[in-house]
This record gives sequence, structure tokens and C-alpha cells, in this order.
Amino acid sequence: MIQNLADGILVGSVLSLGAIGLTLVMHMLRFANFSHAELLSIGAYAALVFDAVFAAILPPLAAKIGPLSMTWALALALLAAIAITGASALLIDRLVFRRVRSKGSELSMVFASFGVAMIVRNVTGLLFGLGTQLYSRDIVFAVVVSRDPLLLIKPDQVFVLAAALLVMVALHLVLTRTTLGFALRAVAENPTLAQVNGVNLGRMIALVWVLGGGLAAIAGVFYGLTNQISPMIGRDLVLPVFAATIVGGIGSVYGAVLGGFIVGVAANVALAVLPSGYSPSVPFLIILAVLLVRPNGLFGEARA
Amino acid sequence: MTALNIKRGGRIALAVALATTALTGAAAAQDCTTKIGAVLPTSVDWGKPIAETAQFVVDQVNEAGGVQGCKIEMVLRDTQVDPKVGVDAAKALVDLDGVQVLLGAVSSGVSMPILTSVTVPAGVAQFSCCSSSGAFTTLAEEGKTKGLWFRTFATSNVQALVGAKVAKDQGYKSVAVLYKNDDWGQDIGKLVAQHLEAQGITVTATVAINDAQPSYRAEVTDAIAGQPEAIYLALYPTEGISVVREWLSLGGSQNMILANSLKSDEFRDAVGLQYLGSAHGTDTSSPRVESADAFVARYKERFGSEPNGPGLSNSYDATMIALLAMEAAGKDAKGSEVAAAVARVTDPAGTPVTADAAGFTAARDVLAGGGTVLYQGATGNVRFDENGDVSAPAVIWSFTESGTQEDSYISLEEVDALAGAGN
Amino acid sequence: MIGFISYAVFFSTVASILAIAVLGLNLQWGFTGLFNGGVVAFFGAGAYGTLILGGTPQADHLGGFGLIYPLALAGGAAVAGLLAWVVGILTLRLRQDYLAIATFGIAVTFENVMRNAEALSGGAKGFRGFERPLRDLFGDGFGYNLAFFCFVLALLVGVFLFLERLVRSPFGRLLRAIREDEDAARSLGKSPARVRLVSFVTGSVIIGLAGGLYATFYAFISPQDVLPTLTFQIWAMLIVGGAGNNRGAVFGAFLIWGGWTSSGWALSRFAPVEAQLYTGSIQYILIGSIIVTMLLWRPQGLLPERLVISQAGQPRKPRTTGSMT
Repeated sequence: MIQNLADGILVGSVLSLGAIGLTLVMHMLRFANFSHAELLSIGAYAALVFDAVFAAILPPLAAKIGPLSMTWALALALLAAIAITGASALLIDRLVFRRVRSKGSELSMVFASFGVAMIVRNVTGLLFGLGTQLYSRDIVFAVVVSRDPLLLIKPDQVFVLAAALLVMVALHLVLTRTTLGFALRAVAENPTLAQVNGVNLGRMIALVWVLGGGLAAIAGVFYGLTNQISPMIGRDLVLPVFAATIVGGIGSVYGAVLGGFIVGVAANVALAVLPSGYSPSVPFLIILAVLLVRPNGLFGEARA
Repeated sequence: MTALNIKRGGRIALAVALATTALTGAAAAQDCTTKIGAVLPTSVDWGKPIAETAQFVVDQVNEAGGVQGCKIEMVLRDTQVDPKVGVDAAKALVDLDGVQVLLGAVSSGVSMPILTSVTVPAGVAQFSCCSSSGAFTTLAEEGKTKGLWFRTFATSNVQALVGAKVAKDQGYKSVAVLYKNDDWGQDIGKLVAQHLEAQGITVTATVAINDAQPSYRAEVTDAIAGQPEAIYLALYPTEGISVVREWLSLGGSQNMILANSLKSDEFRDAVGLQYLGSAHGTDTSSPRVESADAFVARYKERFGSEPNGPGLSNSYDATMIALLAMEAAGKDAKGSEVAAAVARVTDPAGTPVTADAAGFTAARDVLAGGGTVLYQGATGNVRFDENGDVSAPAVIWSFTESGTQEDSYISLEEVDALAGAGN
Repeated sequence: MIGFISYAVFFSTVASILAIAVLGLNLQWGFTGLFNGGVVAFFGAGAYGTLILGGTPQADHLGGFGLIYPLALAGGAAVAGLLAWVVGILTLRLRQDYLAIATFGIAVTFENVMRNAEALSGGAKGFRGFERPLRDLFGDGFGYNLAFFCFVLALLVGVFLFLERLVRSPFGRLLRAIREDEDAARSLGKSPARVRLVSFVTGSVIIGLAGGLYATFYAFISPQDVLPTLTFQIWAMLIVGGAGNNRGAVFGAFLIWGGWTSSGWALSRFAPVEAQLYTGSIQYILIGSIIVTMLLWRPQGLLPERLVISQAGQPRKPRTTGSMT
């Protein structure tokens, strides 16, 4: 049980990172973006490419960092992936979402995002093949933290959790301490009022996409590091990430963080009770339970 | 264009024509085309190689002069693993392209509605490489397939029996069973658990592995809790890699028994050969004749790797048997005639033929003389029973640097004996 | 030519069945504004319900009640309605996007139960043991398909006329009133919660009817038929056709299903041999592009809702979208 709990927290950190980006986009642009998880996929593959490039240019970079399976090359590639994914998010907005936004309703956006997800997933499949890829083939063995009750934890996962928490703290500081953060929050609260006060709406939207894309890239690389990379990452992660966002309440960054951990923990703990065949339902049963008690999620506000 | 250029152009064309004739040989005589349909999930990671293998067979047969002197054109449609899409594609192939032979589908959930609502009503012969559901046998027993249904996927029981035998031979006292949560996995998972217990081995857990989950950590934790001496894995490479890497990193036993779906280079490379030393796989097998290597040799030539992956040899056999049966049935045969001719190419008393272009040519001569042949396929001496199911001998294999090696061979009689002992 | 007609009948049967489901969804979303993200659960409930009630006895799973077909079909639709009633009571008070994800979850759970509960549904291998009705009369081939198509078409027309009358009735006006301004409707003494539930259950019964027809046509159903893809397909049909317009819903069903299948056909015919193995992925890219393009070109759908004067004062778009460019 304690193992399930620990695993859930470790898995949850990746979901949290994905959910933060999604909650910002959903809150600001008022639509359920089903293509958000594809940004994780773009990030993971971008890092895969740059990892190979950096390791080829400078072989010493291929060395591992401490007990982790992460290499220096991958760490650098992560930065490149953040930039590329942010840019991709912006590009997709320019090409599709901004145009649909100007003409259609929320629902048009939702379905446009379905279409975008389909395109990104299959283009990735054509470019990189449909099979599974890994950053590192070595298997990092879990460390025994405690024998009774048995608790095993992988160094990679601890690193991912720590890094994710660090990113979240940094984001918190940006949102609460900087002018940019104030502007962003103002727009999310009330776009019209914010504009009246001189906030450039177009720039803020671009910022949200870049931010969401960057966080998604980190989540994607971390996911690839602790699991594996395939063109189906987006399909596999879209629902848990959504679940985390909804449980936390749309628009709440802290809700998204908590939501990620709740979904991660619940999915892991539930298997101790339910037959494993039912594991895909678990995130939704949690959503349902949360919404029955709090119709706007844990931290969400009712929207007029 | 100058006169010189025209001349040169003409010469090149002539050279190309000569080269083409030399290359294709008998194929030059082909001036007709026969279409066959294929409905396979090409947009899915494990589905694409299955389609690739089917196309490979068609190419070989065309190289050998085609069927009844006609070039075979395989019209390939993607099922998207969506029954409606697959059924519609099959219907379009049958009605619009007029195919009499249909290859597919992979998933039973797609093959079944195609069979009931497309091929059987239209009298088209359907050959599936990989649909494993027992429902097909029941349907055939009820006479509802009209003898049009064939599958080269030996019933899961053979592999389940051999899997349990491996566990016993290795002396494992306890085994956890992890199975893919689809029709094939549910079936084989249940059978393996039964046979293991019949051997007196404790099954510590049977864990369903669902498709498309972001992490299998919880499932692995669940399986490892009983501290089994070994695990039995009926998974595809994608989930298999994820599960086994988690399993190993959590300190799980390296004693593994693998179903043939994990006989895959992708799986070996991603897990690492160093961890697969005590992994034993099971598979249905080729007969013990020299010529049976033909398939492997040809496959390596074409794809540069061994035919390791779920359903590849099955797809090879399904396609080859379909084409042989078309050859046996004569020119412009109807689907029902092709289906009836399957017995003529899988006759245990017939002339043995190998699973390649040479084998096809040999079979053509025998069939033209009114004889029967025994196709010695990639999955074995394929023999269909009256319900279109195959039984086959089995092998136990393990991974090597370059691919896999066969450790022991279990003849059809021994498999039958195991089945008798198990019951 | 015979082949073409045979295929056309087959295609139209599936498209008509899907069109019935789209009409059901149109009642829920187009006229009432309920974001049902779990269409496939109600479709599946109708499908499994019909086969369980009308099938022959099976050793390994539930079924074999052998009801005569019309009763089995109605029973299947009723099962879908019952499910909708329970789900509706639990979730209809939620806000749009929350409702969508909650109902989506119901659908995933439904698929999961069908996949795992072998004694109920036959598990992953699917549910069989159902005889198509009147097979003795029409045989198995083209004749049967034609007869079945006529039956489906009659039901499609029936559902269409029923919904047209419904939305023009006082109840239909009430639905739109609640969709547009719930508080105003409540102030007139109406009960939005009850009206929503009625609309949700009615729409789901129609979707369940489509599911029952679908399972009858294939005489088979498996968990693969009730994956979220179907929800997406049915929604795409409604959005492209035009939400709030029954003609648009039917038109969208034929158009999207036509595009979905013909893209595969065209690729198999015209793509070069070397590219054939990649057509699966290419087809998905094509379908995705078609949907995105349609939304860029006509986001309100091909046949948009015809608003009557009394509704013109109320803008339908969310307050922010207009100013967000």
C-alpha cells in the first residue's frame, strides 16, 4: 500500500506538469484542448533528436548524471525541447486555434483540437515510426528504501519529482511576484477589464501557449525518462492530464498540481482494491466523486 | 528534342525493357491482374509489419509468375482497429473491387463482423492471420461460416500448455501471469493459469494489462507483491517493454516465460539481452524439415532482420495459403471455390512445398497435374480442421545476440499428450 | 454496377444508423446545450441490451432471452434510457466542460465493464449468439441488406419527424429557453433540471436505438465497438453538419462517414505501392485536416441552426471569444 502511495506521487508529478499548462490554456481561452497532451509528445521527441545530436557533437555529454539514467546531453536537449515545443504550441495556435477562435464557438475549438491531435500524432508516427523508443536502454534499478513495509523507489523518479516541484515553485513565483504574472492572471480573470488596463491580450495568449508548451515539454521528457516514448504518448496521457485538471478545477494552477498527484495516487492505490482490468476507469471515478461533492473541482470557481 | 536525343532515349528504353524482362522472367507473360483484399490495422505499431509481410508474400508470388498466370494486386485498407471502419473497407473491397479473397483482420472484434456481414453473405474466402477468439470456432461449428473462414493462428491452448511445461521443467514453484486485456490475452491468460495449477504450480496473481495506459507501475507492483519465482507474459512489445522494465527495476525475477508475441527484436533491444538470460519463449513451430528455413532466410533478405514480432509468420502463412488455394482453384475462381481448394494445398498426404517463391512454383506444377500439396509454412505444417482452426507443433526459444534461437521442439503428438495430461 | 449498388446500400445503412445517433445527440447538445461526452456508453447500452434480450442462450455469458426483435430493440433503447437517467441525475447539474469529462468517464467505465465482465457481456471476445431477424425470409445477401436498410431508413425518418415536431412544440421552445438563459426560464416557473433530464434521457434512448440497430446489422458487438472514437465521430458529424439543425445532423452523418471511409478507399486506389503501408497514418492526417478545415471554414456547421426572431437578442457565443483575437 505504501508502495502504491509512493508510486502514485512519483507518477503524479508528470501529470501535474501537464495539467498546469492545460489548466492555463483552458482557463484563458475557454476551451477543452484535447491536443495539449500532443505537446508532451512533441517535447519528448524533440529531446530524443537533440539528445542524439548533442551526444554526437560532444561525446562527453553522453555521460550519466550521478545515479540517474539522464545524461548531460539529455539535460541540454530538454532546454531545446522546451523551446521547440513552446514554438510549436504557438504555431498551432496561429495556424488553427486563433482562426477558429475568431469565427466559431468554444465547441469548434474543442473539435479543432481533436483534429490537431490526430494530425500531430500521425505525423509523429510517420516521422519517427510507430514503435517504442527510449532515451536510455539501461534499466535503473530501484533502491530499497524500506524492507518492511516494502518500499522501492527509482532515483530517476525522485529526480523527476524534485525537478517538477522546482518548476512549480518557479512558476508560482513568476505568477505572484512579476508584472508579467499579474498581467497573466488579470487576463485569465477578466480579459476585457485587463485590456482596458493596457494589458496586451494577444501577447498574453502567446505567453500562455509558450508557457504551456514549455511545461508540456518538461513533462514529456520526464515521462519518456521514467517510461518510454511512442507516438501514442499523447493518446495515453490526454485523459489522466484532463482528469488532473478537472479534479483541481479549471484555472487553478495549484489545483492542477494537486489534481495530478490525486490522479496518480488514486490510479495506483485503486489497483490494490479493484481488478487490474478496470484501471482505465479509475481516473474518471475520481473525477465523478470530486465533482459530485464540488461541482467546479477542488479549487475551481463557478464561471458566469 | 534533337534526333540524337531521340535515338538515345530509344536505346535507354530498350535497355530498360530488356533488363525488366530479364529480372522478372516469367512475370513478363503476365498481362492480367487478379485483386485480393487485405484489411489490416496499418496505422498501429504491431499492425504495420503484419501488412508488410502479406505484401512480401504477394511480391514473391508475382516474382514466381503470379497466380494462374495473373499478377496479384493486394489492395490494402487500414482498419484503424475500429470494427465499422474495417467492415466498411471489407465491403468496399468485395463490392467495388470484386475481390474473392480477403486477408484480415487482426483483432477478432473486427474480423467477426466482417465475417458475419460481408464475407459469408458474399461467398468470399476470408483468411485471418491473428484473430484468436474462440467465438470463431463456435460459429464454424454452427455452420455459419460456410467453410469460408480460415485462420493461421494456432489456438492459444498450444502455447498455454507449453508455457506451463516450461515452468515445470524449470522447477518454478510460483508464477505470476500478466496478460494483455484483449480477447487473445484474456483467453491465453486464463488457460495458462489453469495449466500451471494443473502442474501444481502456484499462480500468485493474474494481472490484466490494459492498452494505452500511461504507466504500468501499479500493475507491476500488484504482480510483484506475491514474490513469484517467475512471470508469464502474454503481452505485445509496446506494453511488454514498459512492464518488463518496471518489473526488473523493482527487483522482479528475471525468470520469464514469454508468449510468441514478445518474440520481437524491439522487445529484446529495449529490455536488454543481459536481462533476458533466463527468459524462455514459446511459439508454434515449423516442421523439422530443411526447407522450413526458407521463410526465415527470405525474410532476412528482404527486411534485414528475423521475422520476430506478433503475427508475422501467421500473416505470411495466411497470405501464402490464400494464394496457393487460388492457384489450386483455377482461373477466376469464386471465393467458395478458393475456400474449398484450401484442403488441396494443406493436404498431409500431399507433396511438401516450401514457404517461398520456389515452393509456389513447385506447387503450381503439382496442382496443375491434379495433385495435392502440403504447405510447410512459417508457423508449421499448417493443417486446418473442419472449423478453419489450425493445430501445430511448438518450440521453446530464447533470445540471442542476433535474434532468437530454438531450444527445444515439441511435436504435435507431444502437444496432444500435454493437452491430455492437462485435462 | 451491382457491386456499387450493393456497397451503396451497405454504406447508407451504417451512415443512417450513425445519423440516428447524431439526431439523439442533437437533441441533447443542439437544442438543450448538454455536452454529452459519453455518447458511446448509450450507444453501447442499446447495442448490448438488444443482443442480450434478443439473443439465443449462450453457455459463457448472459443472454438468451430470445425476445422477438422489436421488443429486444425497444428493450435495448430502454436500457440506454435507464443508464441515461442514472447518469443524468448524477451529472446534469455540472458545467459544460465538467459534464463532458464526467460523461466521458462514464463511457470509458462502460467499455471497461464490457471488456472485463465476461459473464455479462462475453468480455473482450465480444457478444455473439444473435440471429438477425427475418433471415429466413430475406436470406443473407443483398436482399437482406436492402430490406434492413429500408427498416433503418424508416426509423431514421421516424426519429427525424419526431424530433422536428418536438423542437417546434412548446417543450422544444422550453429546451432552447433553458439553453439560452436558465435563470429566465426558472423565473417563469419552469424546472430546468427536470427538463434537462427529460431531454438527456430522450436523446440517449435515440442513441441507444442506433446502437441496437448497429449490433443487429453485424449480429455481433465487442468492446472494440464502444471505444471513445465513436463518440468523437458522432460529435464531428454533428458539429460539421450543424448543431441545432436536424437536417444538418443527418447531412453531417453522411458527409463525415463518407469522408472517413472514402479517404481510405481513395488512398488504397491512388497512393503508390511504396506508400501503401503508410496510408493508415496518412488517412488519419487527412481526416484530421478535413475536420480542422471545416471548422475554419464554417464553424457553425454546413446547415446552421435557423434562429427565430425571439432568440436573436441573445448572443450564443461565450462572452470572451469575440474579443480574443
